[in-house]
Parts: sequence; structure tokens; C-alpha cells
Amino acid sequence: MPTDTKRVRGPEVSQSPSLFLPDGRQRDQVDVRPVFVRCGLVSQAKGSAYIEAGNTKLMCCVYGPKETERKDETDMKCGRLTTDMRFAPFSCPERGSWIQGSQDKDFSLMLQESLQPAVCLHKYPRSQIEVNVMVLENSGSVLAHAVTCASLALADAGIEMYDLVLGCSIRQDGASYVVDPTYTEQNSCSSVSSENQGGLTVAFLPSLNQISGLQSDGEMTEETLTAGVRTCIEGCYKLYPVVQQALTKAVRRAALPPPES
Amino acid sequence: MATVQVSEAEKVYILHGIRDDLRVDGRGCEDYRHMEIETDVVSNTDGSAKITLGHTAVLVGIKAEIGKPRPMVPDEGYLEFFVDCSANATPEFEGRGGEELGTELSNTLYKVFNNKRSVDLKSLCISEGEHCWVLYVDVLLLQCDGNLYDAISIAIKAALFNTKIPRVQISADDEGGKEIELSDDPYDCMRLNVENVPCIVTLCKVGHRHVVDATLQEKACSVASLIISVTHKGTVTCTRKVGGGSLDPESIFEMTEAGKRVGKALHTPLMKLLQEEESRGA
Amino acid sequence: MAGLELLSDQGYRLDGRKATELRKVQARMGVFAQADGSAYLEQGNTKALAVVYGPHEMRGSRSRTLHDRAVINCQYSMATFSTAERKRRPHGDRKSTEMSLHLKQTFEAAVMTQLYPRSQIDIYVKILQSDGGNYSVCVNAATLAVIDAGIPMRDYVCACTVGFVDETPLADLCYAEESGGVSSLALALLPRGGQIALLQMDARLHQDHLETLIEAAMTACKGVSKVLDEVVRQHLQEVSVLTGE
Repeated sequence: MPTDTKRVRGPEVSQSPSLFLPDGRQRDQVDVRPVFVRCGLVSQAKGSAYIEAGNTKLMCCVYGPKETERKDETDMKCGRLTTDMRFAPFSCPERGSWIQGSQDKDFSLMLQESLQPAVCLHKYPRSQIEVNVMVLENSGSVLAHAVTCASLALADAGIEMYDLVLGCSIRQDGASYVVDPTYTEQNSCSSVSSENQGGLTVAFLPSLNQISGLQSDGEMTEETLTAGVRTCIEGCYKLYPVVQQALTKAVRRAALPPPES
Repeated sequence: MATVQVSEAEKVYILHGIRDDLRVDGRGCEDYRHMEIETDVVSNTDGSAKITLGHTAVLVGIKAEIGKPRPMVPDEGYLEFFVDCSANATPEFEGRGGEELGTELSNTLYKVFNNKRSVDLKSLCISEGEHCWVLYVDVLLLQCDGNLYDAISIAIKAALFNTKIPRVQISADDEGGKEIELSDDPYDCMRLNVENVPCIVTLCKVGHRHVVDATLQEKACSVASLIISVTHKGTVTCTRKVGGGSLDPESIFEMTEAGKRVGKALHTPLMKLLQEEESRGA
Repeated sequence: MAGLELLSDQGYRLDGRKATELRKVQARMGVFAQADGSAYLEQGNTKALAVVYGPHEMRGSRSRTLHDRAVINCQYSMATFSTAERKRRPHGDRKSTEMSLHLKQTFEAAVMTQLYPRSQIDIYVKILQSDGGNYSVCVNAATLAVIDAGIPMRDYVCACTVGFVDETPLADLCYAEESGGVSSLALALLPRGGQIALLQMDARLHQDHLETLIEAAMTACKGVSKVLDEVVRQHLQEVSVLTGE
């Protein structure tokens, strides 16, 4: 067979494309996507925040504290934190609906459980604080970023908190893992049926060193899980200065003397 | 009752007891309450099981129906979970009152079974891309006395063990269409391999220690619980923190380890019991 | 009837019973510890679980409070796996709402509600497996649960469904008979006084036959009441042995 001289042939040795992530990040490193955070986006709400990590974009508004709708014993001593997380219909590759599905309810519940330990609810008796999260674009690790964004919005609303809550998730794929996975990374699974295959999301209070939310699925050994939680905590620490900065910026802006009128 | 009111003095009593590894009902920190399992209780289902754990009572019925496989995985069947928090368990669940808890429980069950090995989904496929078995796992709460997650997961494992799916014959008819024929013989059926089905262990952090199978009183004293679903090999398929409080990382690691130990130990006697029950019925 | 012969020439039914024969009734009282009263009842292949809470203070909106008697609150639901075809929702559909209402009416007639003014009695019934006669099985189970809760009643309420085939009334219909196009009638009876607590029929029947049908239903209900009475007595005996009285 005559050799085809016109064709540029590929190199003899090739590298697996999976060594590097499509966006240039590295596997097995605490390499979170660059994050953009901003407070005070919606002026109507008491507090609000916007977060962008890679292509994941979401915003959060906080309303309250206001009088509770439900009146039972517990509300008299402690405030109530209600969360509502929704995906915009255009946020995923397939169009969703405006109606909250059971998946959204699950996310809302996780969000509530992650935030509640951080908020000084006993300072707000007989009242309720509403947290609304809207996912504008779902490009993976939504829950983790929703937690970060919501805690920032709570801080922006001036709700008393013990600490900020930061979220981080990883995707374990065999022996290697990806921190802050994108949508495709989150939903892809390699055909190799290995022991460790799953996702993990951690919500963390950095200055108190407490985990307020933990969720994992898939299959993992206990050791991997433990290592994964450690990695997530490390990832949270990476986010911390960025979030702090955004918050101080918001406070400075609020503290500026009003322009003379 | 989904929750109980516990006075401060009672809380202190329970807390101090647990500190000394002695619980109100005399158990150690990693002991389960008395458990009773009964399989094949509802004849309208393909598989069913009833479990009582303390006063918690759960009934699980599984129905296999022929459906269309999901487009993403054309060669697999799937499981659907539904938890019915009926008013029988507590008047709070009347009307729509139980829905919130029901969705929470069923969403967790989806997570627990969200992996390739728990149930061999490929065996549920009838003809690729066209027909597959859909297992509707319906959980019915009859009475709540704490530790719902563990009771439900054990009942599901028992019900899956008990599930008999009729064998099917696919024959092509004259026009090239496929016809599915169910076997008439009730004994000609397919059984599921439940070896890898995980069990959930809920660890309740009370004071500085954690307890397994908490009663409602103990749950009222705890700040947060960790749900861990463990297979017989010790693989963790789902973890989740529930309850209002937070936990420090070290205690999470301790709890995962304890959960793995307890969960692994749970499987062997359970399987033995199920096999015994099966042979008694035959 | 097309295809199915509900009553053979020899006078036997599909499941081998005689026309007036009831299905086997098995029941247990006090199955749950947390509820105030509970009972489990099997009538043939139909299985029901009834739980009673109360009498207690009114829950929810207080506007429903009655000043001279107790409010009876019923919820009927069916387990999603109870029927041959899987149900989507356990309760809240039109049929179960109607059934809840019927149960409420039945028990308002039987329970001595005037003894508990400004309070509420909850009766929750769940069908675990359905094979015809759901209403009557629910009533029978709920009666036992109310007795277990120690709430005074005028009498047992016993219910039975009867059908009319070939000029013969059939007692205690099973699902195959119910769906076979028989005109059926459900009756709840307070047997001692012979009072009817609820009578329901939504099929066509010549009025000449109505009396025979009701007569047959009453006989069947009295049969059920004997069984229930036995269950209660046996339960009491067991309990009194346990408590050492």
C-alpha cells in the first residue's frame, strides 16, 4: 500500500485528553474554577448576591426578617429560615419547566440544612428569613455555589451569622478526582466499572471549622470519602478570600457617604 | 409521631447516659432495637416486606411494570421510589402534611440507588431501547418511632429479595413487530441479586458521641445526624447530613467509620434471615 | 354476564362460596402502640388497617369546632401497591374523598359524639390490598379501631356489600364480582337496633328486588357483627390476662 505523503499523520504516542480538563484545569488538584462574586445585585431585596464559577451562574436574594406565616411553638423562640432554589428553564441543556420539581425541592432542603447552622436564628424570634436562589446557568457544582452565594446574600442582608458558609464539590472518577466539576464532568462516567465513582458536596464554615452540609452519591470507599471531604474543605478555603473581598467591597460601598443632593 | 417534645431534665438524663455508653432502653451506642422482618405480605405486589424496628413500622411493596427505558441508558431498566407518609403514622401527615417528608425520603432513596452496582439494572432490560421493567418501590410508613431511614432501607432490601419478576418471551410476529409474552407459570420468574443493595445507617450525634438507631427522644437531643448507606463490602453509596446543626470534620470521619462498621455487620444476619424465611415459605 | 358466570347452576360463586356465604374475616386489634386505637382486618383478600387518634383538642382551624359534640375526621387512602394496576396517589382523588365522606357519615351515626364536645376524633383507614368491598372492610376495621380506642359507640357498625345476580342476592362481593357488572349495594348497619347507618347503591335495580337485597345485606352484616364481637372479646381476654386482672 503506497504511503499517503499528503496526509499529516498524528504522533506515534498520544496523551489521553482526560489528563487535562477541557478548560485547562488539572485533575487531582484542588483547582477550582475562577470565581466572580458580587453582592447587592437586586436593590429591591434586603440582600442579594451573584456568583459565577466557570459557566455556572446563579443569583440569590434574601428577604426578611418578617413575620412568620406559620405560627407554632418553635417560631416563638427561634426564627425560621426558608429556602427556595429553582432552576431557570433555560439553565440546563434541556429546557426545564418553571414548576419546582422534586429535584429542586431536594436542593432547597440541602441548602436550608447547610445554611441553618450558620444563621443566628435565636436573634430573630417570631420571624422568617427567606432565601431564594435562581440558577441561571447550570454548569456543574450548582449546590456548592448556591450555598456560597446564599450565605453571601444573607451577610449582605445584614442577617446575623456565626460564619460564612462555603460550598465545594468534587467528582470522583476511579482513582482520580475533579474539584468543582462542570456539568459534563458531573454527568459523565467512564465506562470502566471501578469502585469509586461518585459526587460529593460539602458546605463548610471556615472560621469555626464545622461542616454544615454533606451529601454524596455514587459508590465510594470510606477512605475515598474521607479524602474527598478533606479536599472539599481545602477547596472551600481557596474560595474564602474571594468571598471575603466581595463582602468587604459591598460593605465599603454601603458605608460611603451618600452623594450630596 | 414524627417528633416528640423532650424536657430539659430528660435531655440531660439522655445525654449523660449516652456519654457513659448506656441508653435509656439499655442498649449500647451501636446497637439496634429489636427488629422483625416479614416478607411476601401483600399478594397484589411482585415483592413486599414489612419491618418493625422498635415501634417504627414500614411496609414496602414492589410492583414490576413494563415501561420504556430512559433514552440515556437504553439497555437498562430503572427503579422508581415513592414514600407515602400516611396519616396512619401520625395525624400531622393528614392531607398534604406528609408530602414534605415523603419527598425528602424518596429523594434520598434515589441517591442511595444512584450507582451501577446496587441493583443489576441491565437484567431489567427486556428489549433494548423499547421495553424494560420498571420497579415501582412504594414505601408506606405505618408508624414512626425514629430511625425511618434505616427501617426503610432494610425493608426495601427485603422486598427486593422477595421480588419475583415474571419471565418474558419476545417473539416477532408476521409484520416484524415484537410481541412480549409473559410466562403463565407463577414459579417461572426472575429473581434479583440483592447482595449489593445497600442499607442505610443513621448516626445521631448526641453530645460528644454518636448513636445508631436513635429513638425519637434521642433524636430530639441531637444537633445533627449523618445518613450513610453501606453495601455488604463496606462501600459507601450515599452520605447526607440531616438535622439543623453542623458537625466538625473529625466527628464526620468518626461517624463514617462507625457507619461503615455497623452497616457491614448488618448485612450478613439480614441475608441469613431472608434466606431462612424464603426456605420456610417454600 | 359476558364470559364470567357469577353464579353457577349448582349455586356456587366464582370463589366457591354459596350465595349468602361471607368471606373469611380475620382481625387483630391494638396493632400499633402509638395510636389511641388501631385494628387490622382481612376479609378474604381485602386487607385494611384502621387507626384512631383522639378524642383530642381540635387541630388546625378552630372554626370547625362543634359545641355540643365531637367532630369526626376521616381519611381513606389506598396503598399505591394495593390494586392490580399501580395507583399514582394514595389519597386525594375523587373516589377516596368520597369514601372519606361516607366513612365520616357512617361513624357520626354510630359514635356517641355528644360525650366529647369541642373535640375531634380522627379515623384513618388504609387499604393495603384491595379485592372488592373496600368500603365495608374499612368500616369493619374502623369499628374495631374505635372500640380499641375506648370510644363509646351505640353499637358495632358492620358493613357489607351485596350484589344481585339471577334473582339471587350475593353477599360480600369480591373484586371479580364487583367488576363483573353486578348491581351492588353497600350497607352499614347497627345490628342490635337494626338501624341503617349508611346505604349506598349506584346501579340499576328493580324496586321489587330492593327489599330482598336489603334483607340479604342486613343478614350478612349481622354475620359480620358476630365475628367482630368474637374478635373484641378475644382481644379483651388476652389483654386482661396480660395485665393480670
